[in-house]
Amino acid sequence: MSIIRYEQTQGKSLGFYALIAGLGAFILAALGGVYFMEHNGHHVTGMNNHIVWGLPHVFALFLIVAASGALNIASIASVFNKKIYKPLSRLSGLVALALLAGGLMVLVLDLGRPDRLIVAMTEYNFGSIFAWNIILYNGFFLIVGIYLWMMFERRMNKYSRKVGIAAFIWRLILTTGTGSIFGFLVARQAYDAVIMAPMFIVMSFAFGLAFFVLVLMASYKWTERPLGDAIVNRLSNLLGVFVAAVLYFVAVYHLGNLYLAENSGVENFILMDGGIYTQLFWYGQIILGSLIPLVLIYSPSTKGNRSMLGLASVLVILGGIAQLYVIIVGGQAYPMELFPGKEILEGYGAIALYTPTLAELMLGLGGIAVALIAIIFLVKVLPFLPESLADNVADPHHKS
Amino acid sequence: MNRFMVLLLSLMMTSVFAHANSEHTLGTQADSMKSSGKTYHQSSSMIRKMHPEFMNHKRDKTLRQGVRTEEYSLKGCVSCHASKKDQSNDYHAIDASEQFCSTCHQKVAISVDCFGCHRTTPAEGDK
Amino acid sequence: MDSKINRRDFIKATTATTASVAALGAGITLTTYVNANENPVTNEKRWGMLVDTNRLTESDIDGMVTACQKENGWGNETHSTGDQKASWIKKIKVKDTATQRISNLALMCQHCEEPPCVDVCPTNASMKREDGIVLVDKHRCIGCRYCMMACPYDARSFVHEELTNQKEHMPRGKGTVEACTLCVHRVDKGEQPACVEAVDSDAVIFGDLLDVTSNIHQTLKRVQSTQIRADLNLNTGVRYSGI
Repeated sequence: MSIIRYEQTQGKSLGFYALIAGLGAFILAALGGVYFMEHNGHHVTGMNNHIVWGLPHVFALFLIVAASGALNIASIASVFNKKIYKPLSRLSGLVALALLAGGLMVLVLDLGRPDRLIVAMTEYNFGSIFAWNIILYNGFFLIVGIYLWMMFERRMNKYSRKVGIAAFIWRLILTTGTGSIFGFLVARQAYDAVIMAPMFIVMSFAFGLAFFVLVLMASYKWTERPLGDAIVNRLSNLLGVFVAAVLYFVAVYHLGNLYLAENSGVENFILMDGGIYTQLFWYGQIILGSLIPLVLIYSPSTKGNRSMLGLASVLVILGGIAQLYVIIVGGQAYPMELFPGKEILEGYGAIALYTPTLAELMLGLGGIAVALIAIIFLVKVLPFLPESLADNVADPHHKS
Repeated sequence: MNRFMVLLLSLMMTSVFAHANSEHTLGTQADSMKSSGKTYHQSSSMIRKMHPEFMNHKRDKTLRQGVRTEEYSLKGCVSCHASKKDQSNDYHAIDASEQFCSTCHQKVAISVDCFGCHRTTPAEGDK
Repeated sequence: MDSKINRRDFIKATTATTASVAALGAGITLTTYVNANENPVTNEKRWGMLVDTNRLTESDIDGMVTACQKENGWGNETHSTGDQKASWIKKIKVKDTATQRISNLALMCQHCEEPPCVDVCPTNASMKREDGIVLVDKHRCIGCRYCMMACPYDARSFVHEELTNQKEHMPRGKGTVEACTLCVHRVDKGEQPACVEAVDSDAVIFGDLLDVTSNIHQTLKRVQSTQIRADLNLNTGVRYSGI
């Protein structure tokens, strides 16, 4: 294994500017959507008093969950000392920060009073898991920022493992916190489950890695730098394991809920007769987002094919968004059990309806665009990407 | 030195006009109170400078602790400082352009956050 | 002179003088304060309500809803769709699945002793007064709606549009969350909540749960009552009998 040399991307080609312009258009559309929503009030959205968190929150939580997962590559390198992932550590930290920034932007811009964001920074309720998340997100920026500095600055390299361990622990706590936003809601049948937190962690592994794989393959292809099979195949295997792990947790979550008679109603709703939520669960999350990617990753005919790995990653991301839609929106659509043992005839208890609007969709997509544009700019400004990840450079076990 | 004097004088002039401006829209009840010689606030310079602190302090006490004295209540501000329209018996919204709050707040470009929620005119007669 | 006043110094220097000036000025302007609540509320009181569903008629409940709307000025939002409109109190009809017995009741904020909305609120905007009334401090509310996710009673509403001409005693505005206040502005004046007053019979009674001489305390001692979702151990201030 030879010394890794990092280098900025050129960022002068027509493609580069086209990419920036395209993403910029998405961000403008998102800002337009935000202005529309905040100027008129949320009545122009599909959200209401029963579906209080809608499509923006699906995207925001997806990005936040994926952010902590994207840091995994760096963690595997520094915490678990796997040398092959080492050259990817810088990019891993960058993708993590960019995704978190995108997610938080969406979350903040959907607030009823985003102009009062300062209140969220000055008035803390330390009993609120939500307030803890604000601290965890800010801490994540700080720790990953320091981690990147340790990796960039040669004199500081020796500390990078220690900071890497701190960052790894922090991201585990962060995703636990994100999962607990739902796990602590005792009133709602779909959420009141301790398994929410570990499930969110495993989801973050899969979503973050899928995003990372796409960014890595695209940037090496578009900058015409060599990217060897050793790394790509490793990442591909890892993605398969993570996707399978998510499937396992989803199965345990639903089986556990089915076992509790009090939760069988909401389980029937999600799994059997919930209309769009049932379809999103089976077709979106399970088939498109989990089973097909597993086939693409492990089937002999598609294994090692980068286009297929890219497709698998895209499907994992789409499946992840579907999964969060089912959890967040589906979980709210099913009514709460106000009177156990009684049937509500009037006044409450219908399945809540939600039709997302264009403004909400644009805001969500804008979050992804912000994350991507941040990555594209920063790899141009700072040397995040190794100039070569060919097998003879990157693979510690390479035999020439 | 002369130049300095001119500067100083013009500054004083603008402050005089600013003063006159704000008096122009003192509000119907406050106007009559003033012309009858009564005072409500201890000093107008104090209330001009300090009203955000007074009101923030008061609002927390009222909402969170149930202290419902009239002093520094926003209701009180509105009831005295809203002005009646010339033609009808209705009131102008106190945060409308050229009205009591906005004459100064527009000048210093600080938005007023009160009236997204609070009523902008004194309550109707029924209450 | 004006420009020399520094706000912080000013507060320090004038706290004492303000008090004395206020005392001097009391003759002219502070006379109306005499009956107002000058002291913070304490936990010696716990406000509560008891709804007797056996005696509460459906038209009683409609009257309660109308009285609340009229008192607090909600329900006439023009742009919001059905599920987006405010709903502080609503009529609920339930049927027991075993006995087929039907009960009608009014459901609003239950004013929990351990309110989930207060637990989850990141900015302390959702709060419980010392006397047990759960409120939204809209000065601090950022409109995140986490409290609405957490409330087991579907009691809270989000204001989906710009509002004008609010009631003087009940500020409401776009982008913040709101709910039944137990008519705190009336309670602080020694009056009853509007919905309680709207019912002719004593099917709904209001009072201090801790006061052993109060009607509500004595009635709760005598009759069997329940809390909605008692399994959550929130110890609600609003109780029901007959369901």
